[in-house]
Amino acid sequence: MNIITLRLKEQPAVPLEVEVLSPDVLKNLSHAEICAGSIQLGKRQRRIDDFFEVEGERSDQLEIHGDISRLKWVGRSMTGGRITIHGNVGMHLGAYMQGGSIEVHGNAGDWVGAEMSNGLIHIHGNAGGQIGAGYRGSMKGMQDGAIIVDGSAGLEIGMRMKKGTIVVGGPAKDFAGLDMKGGNIVLLAGAEIRTGAWMMRGTIISLTPIPLLPTFHFSCSYSPVFLRLYANFLSKLGISIPVDPKAGHYHLYSGDTSVPGKGEILIWRPLETGQIPRTTGCTKVDS
Amino acid sequence: MGGKVTCTLGEVKNRADFIVYWGGNPAECHPRHFTKYALIPKGKFVPRGRKDRTMVLVDIRETKSARASDIFLQIKPGKDFEVLTILRALVKNQPVDRTQVSDTGLTMDQLQDMVDRMKRAKFGVFFFGMGLSMTRGKHMNSAAVLTLAAELNAYTKFVAMPMRGHGNVTGADVVMRWQTGYPFGINFSRGYPRFNPGEFSTIDLLVRGDADAALILGADPGATMPQPCIDHLARIPTIVLDPKVTHTSRLAKVHITTAATGISAPGTAYRMDEVPLPLRPALQTSYPTDEQIIRRIYDAVASKPDWMIHSGKMTSAQI
Repeated sequence: MNIITLRLKEQPAVPLEVEVLSPDVLKNLSHAEICAGSIQLGKRQRRIDDFFEVEGERSDQLEIHGDISRLKWVGRSMTGGRITIHGNVGMHLGAYMQGGSIEVHGNAGDWVGAEMSNGLIHIHGNAGGQIGAGYRGSMKGMQDGAIIVDGSAGLEIGMRMKKGTIVVGGPAKDFAGLDMKGGNIVLLAGAEIRTGAWMMRGTIISLTPIPLLPTFHFSCSYSPVFLRLYANFLSKLGISIPVDPKAGHYHLYSGDTSVPGKGEILIWRPLETGQIPRTTGCTKVDS
Repeated sequence: MGGKVTCTLGEVKNRADFIVYWGGNPAECHPRHFTKYALIPKGKFVPRGRKDRTMVLVDIRETKSARASDIFLQIKPGKDFEVLTILRALVKNQPVDRTQVSDTGLTMDQLQDMVDRMKRAKFGVFFFGMGLSMTRGKHMNSAAVLTLAAELNAYTKFVAMPMRGHGNVTGADVVMRWQTGYPFGINFSRGYPRFNPGEFSTIDLLVRGDADAALILGADPGATMPQPCIDHLARIPTIVLDPKVTHTSRLAKVHITTAATGISAPGTAYRMDEVPLPLRPALQTSYPTDEQIIRRIYDAVASKPDWMIHSGKMTSAQI
């Protein structure tokens, strides 16, 4: 298969902005044209081959090797193709992405998939903050697509997101789902404080107990029907969430009443031994 | 998220009948604030001065300012955002989880009383200090108080204003704002301003080591910033412009002594409410002003060859 392979030759001294490293830009370029591609080192324009050894040409499959944690904007606005990164990657990975997929075997910086409208990003390591968020001053964050982080995540993930899925395998920091307007965040290992602050709509699913703001109130304990469908969707991405009512149920908290919003936080509670499982329906119980 | 609903201190003096200090200690840190602008002076619509005003202090410990307050709300450390969020809900008559309210250090009655008073006020002000904006939650704590002030305007007039920590911080914000549209955390590397706090703000840049030179103007990061920032400033060529030798000067490659603005150089300072005040020098000095030095540096840089790529490659001198 024809693949464009880039190997980092030297670490840049200051951040390098490489929005040109996107399948949309590279797929019709010859080897010489790729080498001459313009990237931004601080305030200076440089060529791709100043920093990378380039192999291959005319492909929408891009492979990058090396620690590129100083490189920003990889895969910006890409509409298709595939980027694989072996190493850590810097900020704004896949920002404004409209399609295709990005896989990172390493850690990623802040703003992964910010304001993306479709596509798939999979980070095998940890990610920074503001995953799938809306940029400062923007009213909406990610609008569709999926971001999967196997490790931990930073502050304000899913800030102002409208649609789509964010899955975080490790713990997330404060303000997960801040000002969320829709979509789903799945926290497999919970989050620190202020999860779902100011959320208007959308769903945050946590498989471990998380501290909630006083503006969220307990609604009921149930096994949501939509979650079985959603679990099917997640299983295609390699994520499994418990949906068996015999194993436990979800506590639903609604909020944030300070907005006032109609967001939902679902927290998984496994059944304790001796507890009788409920098969259907929703039961209102006091928390 | 809303912006900042604000006013000048003259309006506070003449109109404000409900004053909230949040996370600040004006009695010790802004000693003239009470007497000149906020609390004591008689104003057009508050003719009896202090008697016509209600003052609430929200803080994590009882400071000297508590003695000047009518109501002192002592909250637990790191609970500012929670309290502000509860207030926002109560203002809209929305329910809150009563069991969690006590974790903030306040009772439901205190919070409800605060909301009732805020709504009854004719002109309310939030003055928020670094106890709010520099604790866990940071910019979101400020956003919470600004949003609360904006939302209270559905019931009465309410404004919010930060109590600044150092001299003329407001000036830097205001000038950057009218020049670029953004107050701070701005990157010009691509020829146009881009704003992204967290990516381009000073502390984050220095902690990550993203800058390869620093020009410090009228500030002393060596005394206030975290250790990784100071270490990076010592690694890179740092140039300090200051009337005196600061902590930063000691780790800098170059220190240029300048005239002190307002003492030996004229200039403009912005008051905390963004009102520009002309400064007239009282003394004469032989040191150049900040502006003169920056202009000379600018002219020297402008006379260097262009770094843009012509003919495909740059010369080694340009790189």
